[in-house]
Amino acid sequence: MSPRFLLSPRMKYAGLVLAIPAFVLMVAYLNFDFTLEFLDYSRPSEHFSFNEGFLFNLHQNNFTDELGGVLLTCGLLLMAFSREKDEDERIMQLRLESLLWAVLINSLFIMVSIVLFYNELFLTIMAYNICTTLILFVIRFNLVLYLERRKSLQS
Amino acid sequence: MKNNIRIERARLNITQADLAEKVSVSRQTINAMESNKYVPSTVLALKIAKVFGMAVEELFLLEEGD
Repeated sequence: MSPRFLLSPRMKYAGLVLAIPAFVLMVAYLNFDFTLEFLDYSRPSEHFSFNEGFLFNLHQNNFTDELGGVLLTCGLLLMAFSREKDEDERIMQLRLESLLWAVLINSLFIMVSIVLFYNELFLTIMAYNICTTLILFVIRFNLVLYLERRKSLQS
Repeated sequence: MKNNIRIERARLNITQADLAEKVSVSRQTINAMESNKYVPSTVLALKIAKVFGMAVEELFLLEEGD
Protein backbone atom coordinates (compact mmCIF):
# COMPACT_ATOMS: atom_id res chain seq x y z
CA MET A 1 0.00 0.00 0.00
CA SER A 2 1.62 3.19 -1.15
CA PRO A 3 1.06 6.43 0.79
CA ARG A 4 -0.71 7.84 -2.26
CA PHE A 5 -3.68 5.61 -1.41
CA LEU A 6 -3.91 7.18 2.04
CA LEU A 7 -6.00 10.20 2.98
CA SER A 8 -5.17 13.21 5.11
CA PRO A 9 -4.87 12.50 8.87
CA ARG A 10 -7.93 14.64 9.58
CA MET A 11 -10.13 12.18 7.69
CA LYS A 12 -9.73 9.74 10.60
CA TYR A 13 -11.93 11.97 12.75
CA ALA A 14 -14.43 12.51 9.94
CA GLY A 15 -14.61 8.71 9.66
CA LEU A 16 -15.21 8.38 13.40
CA VAL A 17 -18.06 10.92 13.24
CA LEU A 18 -19.65 8.93 10.39
CA ALA A 19 -18.99 5.43 11.67
CA ILE A 20 -20.20 5.66 15.29
CA PRO A 21 -23.79 6.83 14.60
CA ALA A 22 -23.99 4.46 11.61
CA PHE A 23 -22.84 1.55 13.79
CA VAL A 24 -25.45 2.37 16.45
CA LEU A 25 -28.09 2.60 13.70
CA MET A 26 -27.09 -0.79 12.28
CA VAL A 27 -27.10 -2.49 15.70
CA ALA A 28 -30.55 -1.01 16.42
CA TYR A 29 -31.79 -2.16 13.01
CA LEU A 30 -30.40 -5.70 13.24
CA ASN A 31 -31.30 -6.38 16.87
CA PHE A 32 -34.38 -4.27 17.60
CA ASP A 33 -35.91 -3.87 14.11
CA PHE A 34 -35.48 -0.11 14.37
CA THR A 35 -36.29 1.74 11.13
CA LEU A 36 -36.43 5.39 10.14
CA GLU A 37 -39.92 6.12 8.80
CA PHE A 38 -38.86 8.64 6.19
CA LEU A 39 -36.84 5.91 4.49
CA ASP A 40 -39.97 3.83 3.83
CA TYR A 41 -40.64 3.24 0.16
CA SER A 42 -43.53 1.54 -1.52
CA ARG A 43 -45.21 1.63 -4.91
CA PRO A 44 -48.39 -0.09 -6.03
CA SER A 45 -48.03 -3.57 -7.42
CA GLU A 46 -50.50 -5.61 -9.44
CA HIS A 47 -49.23 -8.91 -8.20
CA PHE A 48 -47.17 -10.02 -5.27
CA SER A 49 -43.75 -11.29 -6.25
CA PHE A 50 -40.85 -12.71 -4.34
CA ASN A 51 -38.61 -11.79 -7.23
CA GLU A 52 -37.64 -8.40 -5.86
CA GLY A 53 -33.93 -8.80 -5.56
CA PHE A 54 -32.89 -5.67 -7.46
CA LEU A 55 -33.45 -2.01 -6.64
CA PHE A 56 -35.63 -1.34 -9.71
CA ASN A 57 -37.89 -4.36 -9.06
CA LEU A 58 -38.61 -3.37 -5.47
CA HIS A 59 -42.19 -2.62 -4.52
CA GLN A 60 -41.66 -2.07 -0.85
CA ASN A 61 -38.63 -1.55 1.32
CA ASN A 62 -37.24 0.48 4.16
CA PHE A 63 -33.82 1.86 3.38
CA THR A 64 -32.54 2.26 6.98
CA ASP A 65 -30.16 -0.68 6.67
CA GLU A 66 -28.91 0.47 3.26
CA LEU A 67 -28.19 3.97 4.61
CA GLY A 68 -26.57 2.60 7.78
CA GLY A 69 -24.46 0.09 5.84
CA VAL A 70 -23.15 2.63 3.33
CA LEU A 71 -22.39 5.25 6.01
CA LEU A 72 -20.69 2.66 8.25
CA THR A 73 -18.52 1.38 5.40
CA CYS A 74 -17.60 4.95 4.36
CA GLY A 75 -16.74 5.90 7.95
CA LEU A 76 -14.64 2.80 8.50
CA LEU A 77 -12.82 3.28 5.18
CA LEU A 78 -11.96 6.87 6.13
CA MET A 79 -10.69 5.69 9.53
CA ALA A 80 -8.74 2.78 8.10
CA PHE A 81 -7.08 4.58 5.22
CA SER A 82 -6.11 7.95 6.59
CA ARG A 83 -2.45 8.68 7.18
CA GLU A 84 -0.99 8.97 10.66
CA LYS A 85 0.50 12.39 11.42
CA ASP A 86 3.95 10.77 11.65
CA GLU A 87 3.39 8.18 8.92
CA ASP A 88 6.65 6.43 7.93
CA GLU A 89 7.84 3.07 6.63
CA ARG A 90 7.51 1.31 9.99
CA ILE A 91 3.90 2.50 10.43
CA MET A 92 3.20 1.35 6.87
CA GLN A 93 4.56 -2.08 7.80
CA LEU A 94 2.31 -2.19 10.90
CA ARG A 95 -0.60 -1.14 8.70
CA LEU A 96 -0.02 -3.99 6.24
CA GLU A 97 0.53 -6.52 9.02
CA SER A 98 -2.73 -5.45 10.66
CA LEU A 99 -4.58 -5.74 7.36
CA LEU A 100 -3.24 -9.27 6.89
CA TRP A 101 -4.17 -10.16 10.45
CA ALA A 102 -7.70 -8.74 10.07
CA VAL A 103 -8.35 -10.67 6.83
CA LEU A 104 -7.06 -13.87 8.41
CA ILE A 105 -9.12 -13.57 11.61
CA ASN A 106 -12.20 -12.58 9.62
CA SER A 107 -11.85 -15.61 7.33
CA LEU A 108 -11.53 -17.93 10.33
CA PHE A 109 -14.60 -16.26 11.81
CA ILE A 110 -16.54 -16.84 8.55
CA MET A 111 -15.57 -20.52 8.45
CA VAL A 112 -16.62 -21.08 12.07
CA SER A 113 -19.91 -19.22 11.41
CA ILE A 114 -20.67 -21.35 8.32
CA VAL A 115 -20.43 -24.48 10.42
CA LEU A 116 -22.04 -23.24 13.64
CA PHE A 117 -24.89 -20.94 12.58
CA TYR A 118 -27.90 -21.52 10.33
CA ASN A 119 -30.95 -19.78 8.82
CA GLU A 120 -31.77 -16.28 10.03
CA LEU A 121 -28.99 -16.19 12.61
CA PHE A 122 -26.46 -16.96 9.88
CA LEU A 123 -27.83 -14.14 7.70
CA THR A 124 -27.61 -11.69 10.61
CA ILE A 125 -24.02 -12.73 11.26
CA MET A 126 -23.19 -12.29 7.57
CA ALA A 127 -24.74 -8.81 7.72
CA TYR A 128 -22.34 -7.94 10.54
CA ASN A 129 -19.60 -9.55 8.53
CA ILE A 130 -19.83 -6.85 5.84
CA CYS A 131 -17.87 -4.54 8.11
CA THR A 132 -15.95 -6.81 10.46
CA THR A 133 -12.74 -6.92 8.39
CA LEU A 134 -12.46 -3.14 8.54
CA ILE A 135 -13.45 -3.03 12.22
CA LEU A 136 -10.84 -5.68 13.12
CA PHE A 137 -8.22 -3.82 11.08
CA VAL A 138 -8.94 -0.42 12.68
CA ILE A 139 -8.88 -1.88 16.22
CA ARG A 140 -5.70 -3.93 15.70
CA PHE A 141 -3.75 -1.19 13.89
CA ASN A 142 -4.55 1.50 16.45
CA LEU A 143 -3.83 -0.83 19.37
CA VAL A 144 -0.43 -1.88 18.00
CA LEU A 145 0.45 1.73 17.21
CA TYR A 146 -0.62 2.86 20.69
CA LEU A 147 1.51 0.16 22.36
CA GLU A 148 4.54 1.06 20.18
CA ARG A 149 4.20 4.76 20.99
CA ARG A 150 3.88 4.06 24.70
CA LYS A 151 6.92 1.81 24.64
CA SER A 152 9.03 4.40 22.80
CA LEU A 153 8.01 7.05 25.35
CA GLN A 154 9.07 4.82 28.23
CA SER A 155 12.50 4.03 26.84
CA MET B 1 20.53 -7.95 11.56
CA LYS B 2 21.86 -5.92 14.48
CA ASN B 3 22.86 -2.28 14.59
CA ASN B 4 24.87 0.23 16.60
CA ILE B 5 22.35 3.05 16.45
CA ARG B 6 21.98 3.31 20.23
CA ILE B 7 25.76 3.45 20.74
CA GLU B 8 26.31 6.00 18.00
CA ARG B 9 23.43 8.08 19.30
CA ALA B 10 25.03 8.12 22.75
CA ARG B 11 28.35 9.13 21.17
CA LEU B 12 26.75 12.13 19.48
CA ASN B 13 24.60 12.71 22.57
CA ILE B 14 21.30 12.99 20.65
CA THR B 15 17.91 11.59 21.68
CA GLN B 16 15.72 9.19 19.72
CA ALA B 17 13.44 12.12 18.94
CA ASP B 18 16.37 14.17 17.55
CA LEU B 19 17.48 11.33 15.30
CA ALA B 20 13.89 10.68 14.23
CA GLU B 21 13.53 14.30 13.21
CA LYS B 22 16.82 14.30 11.27
CA VAL B 23 15.79 11.31 9.15
CA SER B 24 12.07 12.21 8.96
CA VAL B 25 10.59 9.16 10.68
CA SER B 26 8.60 8.71 13.88
CA ARG B 27 10.32 8.16 17.22
CA GLN B 28 8.82 4.69 17.62
CA THR B 29 10.56 3.65 14.39
CA ILE B 30 13.97 4.56 15.86
CA ASN B 31 12.99 2.74 19.05
CA ALA B 32 11.90 -0.36 17.10
CA MET B 33 15.22 -0.39 15.21
CA GLU B 34 17.26 -0.03 18.40
CA SER B 35 15.38 -2.96 19.94
CA ASN B 36 16.07 -5.00 16.78
CA LYS B 37 12.35 -5.26 16.07
CA TYR B 38 12.48 -3.48 12.74
CA VAL B 39 14.84 -3.72 9.78
CA PRO B 40 14.86 -0.34 7.98
CA SER B 41 14.65 0.18 4.25
CA THR B 42 17.91 0.85 2.38
CA VAL B 43 16.96 4.54 2.05
CA LEU B 44 16.45 4.92 5.80
CA ALA B 45 19.64 2.96 6.60
CA LEU B 46 21.63 5.28 4.29
CA LYS B 47 20.07 8.37 5.87
CA ILE B 48 20.92 7.21 9.40
CA ALA B 49 24.48 6.34 8.41
CA LYS B 50 24.83 9.82 6.91
CA VAL B 51 23.73 11.46 10.17
CA PHE B 52 26.43 9.52 12.04
CA GLY B 53 28.97 10.09 9.27
CA MET B 54 29.62 6.36 8.88
CA ALA B 55 29.35 3.71 6.19
CA VAL B 56 26.13 1.69 6.34
CA GLU B 57 27.98 -1.58 6.98
CA GLU B 58 29.67 -0.09 10.04
CA LEU B 59 26.29 0.78 11.53
CA PHE B 60 24.26 -2.25 10.45
CA LEU B 61 25.74 -5.71 10.81
CA LEU B 62 24.54 -9.03 9.50
CA GLU B 63 24.02 -11.77 12.05
CA GLU B 64 24.32 -15.49 11.61
CA GLY B 65 21.15 -16.78 9.99
CA ASP B 66 20.51 -13.60 7.99
